[in-house]
Amino acid sequence: MEGEKRFRELIDRSFVEEVSEGERQLIHDHIRDCDGCKRYVELTARTIRGLREFTFTSEPDSNAQVREILAHHTETIRQHNVQFKAWAAFAVALSMSIVGSALVYQVAKLLTVPMHFDTAQVQAGVLVFWLLPSLCSALRLLAAPGENRGIA
Amino acid sequence: MTLNTTAETETAKIARGLRERDMELLADLVERCQHRLVGYLLYLTGRREYAEDLAQETWIRVLQRGSQYNGRQRFDPWLFAIARNLAIDYLRKKRKAVATVSLPNDRDAMLLLPSSDPSPFEAAARSEDAMRLAGRLQILPPLYREALLLRFQEDLSLAEMAQVLGAPTTTVTSRIYRGLAALRSAFEEGDSHGG
Repeated sequence: MEGEKRFRELIDRSFVEEVSEGERQLIHDHIRDCDGCKRYVELTARTIRGLREFTFTSEPDSNAQVREILAHHTETIRQHNVQFKAWAAFAVALSMSIVGSALVYQVAKLLTVPMHFDTAQVQAGVLVFWLLPSLCSALRLLAAPGENRGIA
Repeated sequence: MTLNTTAETETAKIARGLRERDMELLADLVERCQHRLVGYLLYLTGRREYAEDLAQETWIRVLQRGSQYNGRQRFDPWLFAIARNLAIDYLRKKRKAVATVSLPNDRDAMLLLPSSDPSPFEAAARSEDAMRLAGRLQILPPLYREALLLRFQEDLSLAEMAQVLGAPTTTVTSRIYRGLAALRSAFEEGDSHGG
């Protein structure tokens, strides 16, 4: 009985995993003399065959539906990505404008004495010729033509 | 060797396509895998309407997380693993929703039971033996059902199955053996009744 149990475990294994040629031969030899195990092999093979005889189909329009949903999601993801990139570029440009303007202001302040400017003139100059143009350039990144992005 | 190289190229192509969200590749994958995905989800949930919805959710997840597929393993086990996680979350939510509502009678609890329509397994059976197994499959625990499908219909290796199920191969094989034992009895009983 114990031996038969061990054989049935081996039979199960032979259907599910790789077994050695020796083990296969062992099963073959055993089922020649053991009707119980022979039937066990037949039933297992029949069960597995039966399992392979199920054919699942999806709804007729299901593939087209999935493709449509995916196309819609792809477009949404693309738009999000474009917006994210535009805002990221704007943030970088904005911080560069501020840092750049501060540096220019420091340099211009050094030139106030030799060039006889006062501080207000330097501030106005940096604002008009540096900070405003760079801010406009940064804003333009958000409003690039032909793209539905940022503040455009 | 050539076959291996071809398989590698194929998975690498899929990985690249998923990273780039290539619609043509996605459409091709849907064409190839949708019915098998629905079949797997049917085995898991036992209900056609859940399976179709979850299949759609799975493809959206594939699109969103496509960059996580590394192309070093086959695509199918990766797809089934996503579907499995979604199905488990979905069924958990359903069960919680029914549990939190105080039911006036047991009718609403039927939501969680297989519907009285012909079972999806009967509808998919293509032979007399398959029809005989269909009734057993409907009442077999989903854990065993999915193990049987992945092994004998999808022909996944035990290692691939372990990846999908998130379980060691010993657990995987034990589920297959138990599932087989439960189904085998359908023929044993049937034959003994039939004389």
